[in-house]
Amino acid sequence: MGGSTGFVIDIRSVYKVFVPQGRNGQTAHVALQDVTLRIPEGRFVCLVGPSGCGKSTLLNMIAGLIRPTDGTIWYKGRPLDGVNTDVGYITQDDNLLPWRTLQQNVELALEFRGVPPNERRRRAAEYIARVGLAGFEHHYPHELSGGMRKRAALIRTLVYEPSVVLMDEPFGALDAQTRILMQDELLRLWEGSGKTVVFVTHDLVEAIALSDEVVLFSRSPGTIKRVYPVPLGRPRDVFRVHAHPQFPDFYRTLWEELRTEITDLGQERRPV
Amino acid sequence: MSAVETELPRTESDPRAYAEALRIRVQQEALLRARQERLRTAWGRLAFAAGVLVAWELASGRVMDEFFLSRPSAILTALWEMVRRESLLYHLQFTVLEALAGYALGAGSGLLAGFGLARWESLYRVLEPFIVALYGIPRIALAPLFILWFGIGIASKIAVAAVMVFFIVLINTVVGVRSAPLPLLQVARVMGASEWDLIRKVVFPAATPFIVAALQITIPQAMIGAIVGEFISANRGVGHLINRAAGFLDTAGLFAGILTLLWVVLLMNHSVTALGNRWMRWNPRVRSSPEGM
Repeated sequence: MGGSTGFVIDIRSVYKVFVPQGRNGQTAHVALQDVTLRIPEGRFVCLVGPSGCGKSTLLNMIAGLIRPTDGTIWYKGRPLDGVNTDVGYITQDDNLLPWRTLQQNVELALEFRGVPPNERRRRAAEYIARVGLAGFEHHYPHELSGGMRKRAALIRTLVYEPSVVLMDEPFGALDAQTRILMQDELLRLWEGSGKTVVFVTHDLVEAIALSDEVVLFSRSPGTIKRVYPVPLGRPRDVFRVHAHPQFPDFYRTLWEELRTEITDLGQERRPV
Repeated sequence: MSAVETELPRTESDPRAYAEALRIRVQQEALLRARQERLRTAWGRLAFAAGVLVAWELASGRVMDEFFLSRPSAILTALWEMVRRESLLYHLQFTVLEALAGYALGAGSGLLAGFGLARWESLYRVLEPFIVALYGIPRIALAPLFILWFGIGIASKIAVAAVMVFFIVLINTVVGVRSAPLPLLQVARVMGASEWDLIRKVVFPAATPFIVAALQITIPQAMIGAIVGEFISANRGVGHLINRAAGFLDTAGLFAGILTLLWVVLLMNHSVTALGNRWMRWNPRVRSSPEGM
């Protein structure tokens, strides 16, 4: 079948139905409904939408951690089956291993992938230096600040050079200033790398500052409402994204669209 | 010139140097305070122990009948007598051997079974009520049964000690293994971890606080198992010594036996704590724990 479409990620009419865990007698619910999305190589794409719209679910499916109930996800020309170890996956919590030092955490994926120790150390040191964490190699995660931990989580994934990086609200828990610094850091690491990034956020400013395209989801059951190309050029200055002449109009468009999804919750609830 | 400046003329010269001097002074004071605190605690402990011993020595024969209470000096003499004549070390070696072997057996099998059950969900669900029921038995009640099965030698005492340890380690291991957060496991899988990688590098370290706690809790338990086994039937071991001293109405000998056990358990506890601290250098809560005496 159509493998050679030129898209790294090719999601074709995917549905996901969940049965809530834990309690008996709960009704299954539709998390994603007929989602079709094609992402070309090297693109930075943001998924935004109201909470509970299934955007994280979609990310988990691209990572191969859960399967679609119906439909197929094609990854680099092949239908996904099982865990997708070709991607990098960065979650909202930094998920560093608390019993490993910074350096050991950064080396973890390389260990899993059978990279010899010398090479591991060299590559880890390179990335640690790139994000300004040199000198903290032997610190445990609890000895690092929130921003440092987030940098560590970032490079721990980038260190094995995945061509596709999935990010699930990675900066959501950070304070406003650290978040902007991390966005800047991410863009500097990404620009020119040719990597494809799928980034889940509910922060519209973040989506505009970072991405090439914003994919807007409707509320549950999640469907794609529209895909907006971001009218800002590159390279971007995340510190001054508000000052960009195109920013206000684009932000307003996105916000109006999202607002209807958040506010008129009552209307679409049909009586059963 | 405002009032504030005249009150603090030092700041006019060089605020930065002054701040540095302040910083050093505060730091030194804090260190000194911490040392004094430690010293005070140590002296307090010493004073408490000495006070109890002196009060005991004085009360015995005056306030209370020495027959029931004995007295520290008599206990020390009895201890010395035991070491000299009855070879305390000879008896001690059996008790320690039983406790240690039972501990190793119970902890080892508890760990293995715990890991197996935690990874095999459906089997655990089937067995859970049975495990809880067995755990609920006062395990000491099994001692006569084990003596029936394994005889009056050390094997039965090892078995009692092992069963004292097994269930606690088993249950803690299951809880520990399940404490590994799912997102952590998922991230590791995407990173390319094999099942074995996951167990060795994620699940096991995540479970260590629970396992170390179980290993600490169960040390006295193993000793209880060995001693109770010896109480019921034995011709060797510290439990036997204590039992015999009781038979001869030798209160001092009885206390001497108890004192010996106290030291052995303290020593074992200390080694496991040291081991645990080394395993868990990463854990801020464990690191701040008191470092013994």
